[in-house]
Amino acid sequence: MRLSGTDRSRRLLTAGAGIVFAAVMSLVLIIGFRLATEIRASVGALQRASELETYPSVVSEQLTALRERLDTLEYTGHVHAELAGSIRGFNRDLAALERQPGLDPAAMHAAAALWRSYAGVLTPVLAYDGEPYSDTATTSSLSRSGRVFYAHVRRAELFAQTHAAALHRQLATVSASLQAGTAAAAARLRLLLSGGVLAVLLLGLAAAYLQLARSRGERAAREAQEQTRDILATVREGFFLLDADYRIGAVWSQALTHMFARQDFAGLSFEELLRDKVPPETLATATKFIKLLWGERAHENLMKSINPLGQLEVSMDNGRGGKETRYLQFDFHRVMGPKGIKHVLCAVGDITSSVLLSRELHEAQENAHSQLDMMVGMLHSDPLQIGAFLDSASAGLKHINAILKEPARNHAEFSKKLAGLARELHSLKGEASALNLMSIAQRVHHLEDMVAELKGRSELTGNDFLPLVLKLDELLAHLRGVREMTLRLSSLKGGTPAPEGTLSTPILRLGANGPEELASTLHSLARKLAQDHGKDFMLTLNGLADCPRAYLPTVKDCLIQMLRNAAVHGIEPDAVRRAGAKSGTGQVRVDFRRVESGYEMLFEDDGAGLLPEALKEAAVRRNILTPQQAAQLDNRATLALIFKPGFSTRTEVSMDAGRGAGMDVVAKAVYGLGGKIGVSTNPGRYTRFKIALPAASETAVA
Amino acid sequence: MGTAQEAVARRTIRLLIVDDSNIVRRRIERSQQFDELEVVGTAANGLEALELARRTDPDLVTMDLTMPQMDGIECITQLVRFKPAIRILVISALADKATAVEAMERGANGFLNKPFTDRQLNDAIAELMY
Repeated sequence: MRLSGTDRSRRLLTAGAGIVFAAVMSLVLIIGFRLATEIRASVGALQRASELETYPSVVSEQLTALRERLDTLEYTGHVHAELAGSIRGFNRDLAALERQPGLDPAAMHAAAALWRSYAGVLTPVLAYDGEPYSDTATTSSLSRSGRVFYAHVRRAELFAQTHAAALHRQLATVSASLQAGTAAAAARLRLLLSGGVLAVLLLGLAAAYLQLARSRGERAAREAQEQTRDILATVREGFFLLDADYRIGAVWSQALTHMFARQDFAGLSFEELLRDKVPPETLATATKFIKLLWGERAHENLMKSINPLGQLEVSMDNGRGGKETRYLQFDFHRVMGPKGIKHVLCAVGDITSSVLLSRELHEAQENAHSQLDMMVGMLHSDPLQIGAFLDSASAGLKHINAILKEPARNHAEFSKKLAGLARELHSLKGEASALNLMSIAQRVHHLEDMVAELKGRSELTGNDFLPLVLKLDELLAHLRGVREMTLRLSSLKGGTPAPEGTLSTPILRLGANGPEELASTLHSLARKLAQDHGKDFMLTLNGLADCPRAYLPTVKDCLIQMLRNAAVHGIEPDAVRRAGAKSGTGQVRVDFRRVESGYEMLFEDDGAGLLPEALKEAAVRRNILTPQQAAQLDNRATLALIFKPGFSTRTEVSMDAGRGAGMDVVAKAVYGLGGKIGVSTNPGRYTRFKIALPAASETAVA
Repeated sequence: MGTAQEAVARRTIRLLIVDDSNIVRRRIERSQQFDELEVVGTAANGLEALELARRTDPDLVTMDLTMPQMDGIECITQLVRFKPAIRILVISALADKATAVEAMERGANGFLNKPFTDRQLNDAIAELMY
């Protein structure tokens, strides 16, 4: 901007100087022309004046010649004519000279007067028109008129001889005054021409100065441009300006070419820049954000705080036909002009290495943490229980493998596969967290995440399951590590390490070890859940001793699941309980008893109960029901929704609930034993599950 | 801008607090330090908020996003429609930037992450109203 300012003033200066110069030069030329005309005129006059100067002596000489001819009686005609010519010429030139300006008027007047006094004596001479001689045969003499004529000539000759010098002097004065005037005009012309030359010189100097200034300005501009180019070529951040149409400007930094593997940034829209490199939702959010930047409404700090592109994961071609993930950081600054926002300056940095580094650090920390966790968990658990869990886990994983291997061709079959996987993983997670084996539980949780993500897809192929298989392998390796550690720990504790070979065969099913172990497992899970979710409740178990061994694994699975649901959904936070005039400590009761048809188990919590409207809403949100279907359900049918696969009222997913596999696992397990399950509730007071199991022979479920 | 300036001129800003948690509502009520701020109502969900906004004519609304019955995004959309000059400060635990952008696009004016300090809240309000 500064550049164009000096540019403009320089242009004005040039134009001004040109106009002044033209004016000066035309003035010089006009005056010069007039002077030249004047000089030419006075030179003519001067010539005439110097001619006039010769006349007095000429007239005088001619009169003398005339008189001598009359003396010697020679022919006088031609001399008389010459005299008349001279006098005519004198009269003419004098009249012309009298009109000439700038001559000495006094001298001129005196000369004219003197000449007029000549006229008195010259007129009779000129007027003579007779024959001056009277001739006889032998002699010639002056005639009578000749004698008169002679007297006139003699008088004129004498007059001329007396006055010629004076007339000449007067004429010389006139001529001198004329000469002086001409010289002055010539001097003025010289002066004027010198002025003109000076003006030309000055103009030349000014032009040279302006040219110098311009070239200096141009050099400065060129240098500035070069520096800008150098900066843009060297800087490691990607810089560009976005205009009001969200398009990239003509100037951008070279670093962009590495980041985006292209060259054609000028005019590219921001959306095109990121298209195919980020998921469509991210692209949509980014586009909205850019639009918001152009609104005057939002403060820059606020925009910075909600910038969704602070750490953007982009997928780039790596130049070898594959894809590579990079992390880019976008910063936006608004460039204000007099009429509001002019541009948005965008700075892009490649933060891939720092993101990967911090992730590695985080993973290392997590690993160390989880190993420690696992050790602590194991120290607090019975090694036999852990062994039992590990067996049950490897059985579970085998089952998962089998599900993965099942052929699937259409979406329904894939969905079925995923539902099966979800159920297996969920119960595996339940067992792991019951034993406080959080490192395992977290890994399973992660697997569940992947399954849930696959469930959300509209199209599935066998390849989509590959990452799952890899994660399962990792889990398997981890389980092996846990088994090894168990062995070391048990030897540390002085127990007998189980021989390696026997580990794959079940020592004891978890919980099947006896009702007492099941009770302690449930109590420790209850404590952990209470702590994790900040809830205060007491678990009371009745009659579990009556549970036949064959049912114990199923009963255990169901109770773990229901206990988790009660802790997460049922029991309210302390403050809410107090507000509802309930006792601060929640109650969770399990009653197991023999009945005529077999066994009956009641599971009851005095928590928030189930709200039919909330259940319907959740079912609609999960696409289990349409809103119309939901509206038609009665209370009983609504409650039964909780046994549907994929149902959960929680919107966020946590380790303990919100997966949508939960009560459907319980129901499936109960049905598997030929039992029945029902639920009743009183909103704000309690939720009660009633499970009926048939009488079982011990061998039936061995 | 009209309403905000008017509000400053008459030296009182009418504040409506919208959050489904009673604890957060109390917290916002207590932490504001501007003499000219007057809490004209508290609402636990979007529907209540719209009802109250119609009755109490607030200048400023603090808005939670995740709420039962009507969520914050929908509430913002409708609030801005019937009272375009209203200023809305979103206060949410959602770390999801996309939701923040969405809220801004619908007409929110500021964004504050939960948990927040009193100072952060007051700064955010000051930035919005002055």
